[in-house]
Amino acid sequence: MEGLFTYYDMFATKGVEYLIILVFLISFIFVWKYFERKAPY
Amino acid sequence: MEEKTVLEIKEPEIKSFSDFWKFFKEELKPKGKIFTPFNVITFPIMIVGYICILIRLIKGLGYPVTNLSQEFPWGLWIGFDVVTGVAFAGGGYVLAFIVYILRDERFYPILRPTILNAFLAYVFYAGAIVLDIGRWWNIYNPMVGNYFGYNSVMFLVAWHFFLYMLAAFIEISPAIAEWLGLRRIRKILGTLTLGAVIFGVALSTLHQSGLGALMMMAKNKIHPLWYTEFIPILYFISSIFAGLSLVIFEGSISHKVFEWQIPEEYHKAYPGIVFSLAKICALVMWGYLFIKLIVLVHDRSYPYLNSTMGFWYLIEVIGFVLIPAILYAEGYTRKSLLIIKCASILTLIGIIINRLNYTFIAYNWFVPLAKKYWPTPIELLITASIVLTEIWVFRWIVNRMPIVRPAPAWARKLESH
Repeated sequence: MEGLFTYYDMFATKGVEYLIILVFLISFIFVWKYFERKAPY
Repeated sequence: MEEKTVLEIKEPEIKSFSDFWKFFKEELKPKGKIFTPFNVITFPIMIVGYICILIRLIKGLGYPVTNLSQEFPWGLWIGFDVVTGVAFAGGGYVLAFIVYILRDERFYPILRPTILNAFLAYVFYAGAIVLDIGRWWNIYNPMVGNYFGYNSVMFLVAWHFFLYMLAAFIEISPAIAEWLGLRRIRKILGTLTLGAVIFGVALSTLHQSGLGALMMMAKNKIHPLWYTEFIPILYFISSIFAGLSLVIFEGSISHKVFEWQIPEEYHKAYPGIVFSLAKICALVMWGYLFIKLIVLVHDRSYPYLNSTMGFWYLIEVIGFVLIPAILYAEGYTRKSLLIIKCASILTLIGIIINRLNYTFIAYNWFVPLAKKYWPTPIELLITASIVLTEIWVFRWIVNRMPIVRPAPAWARKLESH
């Protein structure tokens, strides 16, 4: 089984940047909902 | 009532140069009151500013004209007049793109004032680059390719400024033809507009980012929180919301100043236009913030956040990007022009801070405060006189040409064909 699992450093592979982009894309759902909402008054 | 206002502007009959000269001399006369508070305050500032410009051109860039040095070669004129001024002019290419390429004609009523503003911004603010060049009489060199590095970003920026001025002039030229009543020329110019818009948008994407690329030459001098290889992208994206924020801010003023020229239908459409612009700004700023975050992580510069410059960075990003973005979104959902106006002012301040950071605040940031660059009174006066002259020229044109008011009926007929 040895060698099947490889550990990747999140920073070395820029994983955090991909996560930020994913969060950004997902955030558009909430931004869209925010713009579509009715004003409180 | 509005038709009456439009009809009140008499159309000249120009058949020869002497007709034009007679009409032009008549148009040079001031329209309206001369001794208004605005005129009384700004005129002396402009005159003193022109004298200072003369002194700068004769005496050169050294002290006491400017505080520029080998350590701080770029000061207020580059940072505010050129780099910030060009970002503020971004509204011209963004709106032209929306109206002519995306065919969203809701924004048509504010298109001409925006393009005129962009054109004048390039003429005056980008033109202010003449003052920054030590041997200013050599300004034509990039145009003729004389002793100039063709691979230089400055070469690209110089040519783009020049070409964009031409493109913006073509975009606004139908209004000049309508003012002079030149129907055949108006028809020809109308056909050139779309081409000029496409050309102008392509140029803008390149030189807005090109200005950012200029900053990349100073890798070891700009603070790591601001320096990144993505500066061109950040400059380009920030020019979109900077330009639109200026459109909102300037529109709110000229909507009041030139109220008598604006037809009822434009008055009614105005709030809707501002709400749509606010929504665009909020979305673009949201994207810009994420890019800033990605850059921060990518360059691993976050440890610097816990320092004086880091706090200054956070003030810029949170105070003048995140907060105005939220205000824009709130203004859009609550349909509040006041909130949107506040957001536009905050955004404009944020852009000024951002551009000045790159040119002299976060530039050579390790230099003690006492030895840092501070603009001299002459630099401030010249900057003020350039901004005020642009406002005076804008007002002169709007009071004469169909910029804020609709085009004459014959010209509108040409557009519909």
